[in-house]
Amino acid sequence: MNDILPALFHMLVFPGGLFAVAAGLLLKGLDRRVEARLQRRVGPPLLQPVFDLIKLAGKETLIPATANRAAFLTAPLIGFTGMAVCAALIPVSGAYSGLAGMGDMLVLFYLLPLPAIALMVGGSASSSPFGALGFSREMCLMLAYEIPLLAVLLAVAMRVGAAVGGGAELSLSAVAAHQIAHGQFIADPVMWPAFIAYLLFLPGTMGVPPFDVPEAETEIIEGPLLEYSGPALGFFHLTSALKSVVVLGLGVAMFFPAPVPGGAFVNVLWFLCKCAGLMLVSLTVVKSATGRFRVDQAFTFYLRYPAPLALASLILVWQGA
Amino acid sequence: MSSLDNPTSTLPIGPVHVALEEPMYFRLDVEGETVRGVELTAGHVHRGMEALALRRTLFQNIVLTERVCSLCSNSHPFTYCMAVENLAGIPVPERALYLRVMAEEIKRVSSHLFNLAVLAHIIGFKSLFMHVMEVREIMQDVKETLYGNRMDLAANCIGGVKYDMDAELTRFLLSSLDRVEGAVRKIAKIYGSDVMILRRTRGVGLFGREDARGLAVVGPVARGSGLPLDVRREAPYAAYPRLSFEVVTEQDGDVHSRAMVRMREMEVSIDILRQCARDLPAGPLSVLLPEIPAGEALARSEAPRGELVYYLRTDGTETPNRLKWRVPSYMNWDALGVMMKDCKVSDIPLIVNSIDPCISCTER
Repeated sequence: MNDILPALFHMLVFPGGLFAVAAGLLLKGLDRRVEARLQRRVGPPLLQPVFDLIKLAGKETLIPATANRAAFLTAPLIGFTGMAVCAALIPVSGAYSGLAGMGDMLVLFYLLPLPAIALMVGGSASSSPFGALGFSREMCLMLAYEIPLLAVLLAVAMRVGAAVGGGAELSLSAVAAHQIAHGQFIADPVMWPAFIAYLLFLPGTMGVPPFDVPEAETEIIEGPLLEYSGPALGFFHLTSALKSVVVLGLGVAMFFPAPVPGGAFVNVLWFLCKCAGLMLVSLTVVKSATGRFRVDQAFTFYLRYPAPLALASLILVWQGA
Repeated sequence: MSSLDNPTSTLPIGPVHVALEEPMYFRLDVEGETVRGVELTAGHVHRGMEALALRRTLFQNIVLTERVCSLCSNSHPFTYCMAVENLAGIPVPERALYLRVMAEEIKRVSSHLFNLAVLAHIIGFKSLFMHVMEVREIMQDVKETLYGNRMDLAANCIGGVKYDMDAELTRFLLSSLDRVEGAVRKIAKIYGSDVMILRRTRGVGLFGREDARGLAVVGPVARGSGLPLDVRREAPYAAYPRLSFEVVTEQDGDVHSRAMVRMREMEVSIDILRQCARDLPAGPLSVLLPEIPAGEALARSEAPRGELVYYLRTDGTETPNRLKWRVPSYMNWDALGVMMKDCKVSDIPLIVNSIDPCISCTER
């Protein structure tokens, strides 16, 4: 019982739940603002994602007559809870070391696809043909980007494991602690291919251009999200905000977790800054410089570039370079 | 939806769809991501304009035809006026002929820029979309300065034009053209070399030279398939016989070559505009009109989307007996069936956009 209360706190308040939602929405606002500036637009206010959510909360959730009601309404919650748990696993160096003793990198790998699965469940439950198309596209894309992710996670785990006495170190807080003590992986040439692979993984998992295939607005009019409205749609947006904190935070923890001197509060801010930096590089700039792949092109892209890069790091680590 | 015996399912696109600028309904039979059959349904923006034209006078119909559609809003009254002039044998002053060409080419540049911007929008390239629309804004400013309007120019009247150019306006036009030309060259380079655009448009929506001849397509669709069809060259009208210009063609017949035809045509149009500004003769803008006799006449012109034909029959009264027009999109429409054969669902909006359909024109 004593373990459960702090764990719940971490999942619901900090760094999961409330904190991650707030951070995710802020990051989204920043993303939209910077993208607008890159396109010489003014862009919405920083808090626009929050306003959007408030508006959605006050609206009616319409359920298509032919939809499977239960699955249609549960799907948004699946993704949301999955991401709230994930957020609690991300260490914020200098402020929070992650839920200890849970082999968290494996858990993360299993939980990360949940929002995509939620999207697929929701899309097929909505009984819309666009949802069905979105389902198959999401599935295809997920298969493609999970491969480099797995290789990156393994490369990081084995790199730390090799340093502390063989095997793989699957605790994210240990990974972060090791780097703080022995230098960050972003400065380690062996890990550079893995870092690049992770940068390429981010737009795919976040579903932004050039990998926004499952929701392609001009092709299948947002696919699985098409039939969603009101709070249910809001939950999908919340999930996406949470997920951005999780994947960006995971990137920070795996490659440049070092804290700055100062208290916990300063380090939380520092963590957010690093997330924002990672987001601007891997999502915002990429998104405003590219169009959209076709689903087959996106699939081959992931097999052709990020997967070999991540594997290269993995092999180098394995060979003890 | 799908069953084991019948692997296809039905996908409705439209009548309201993000990628379509106007209402149009496509009923697609898809097998996974591949399109197996297309059924087109139109009629959502039918406004009964041809019937309306019979209840308006010959002069009021200039205003009416200008409102057929917004992107080719100059071509319609222009061709209509030519039909009336052909019928009554009205000699249009030389200066007016040049000014008519200028209005037409300015509209062509902004129409093509709009279509190319939408192409970027469809493949999700939002920054490029914003950039091309920003360049188009220069042309919109030109229209607003010269004609007082951003879309409907109201440049034509029977027997001449309603506006004039002075030295200051000419200077403004030429300096704007310089800016647009530089920007268009840059955009052309992006469309011709950006990996993302090439991957999405090359080899998509193939439409061969023989298909083009068989379906009698017109405008950039025909020219994108290697057919050098251009009314400005085949049956020169207005000041075109005295201007030198190239008929742009591309050989590949895919979405990319149709886009590149439009791209290069903009440079041709800019060149035509410069020639007009240089050679603009002095003289009156319009002539006094004679009585319009009973009779029938035809006029055709090259609108941004291709050949536009106007047929007019009068009975000596001030209202026409019959006014009928055939728009380029009507001719290009059937080409969609060939282009969409076995294409991917993601390519549908691209293919539809590549014929630059004007649904308001087609259904009027």
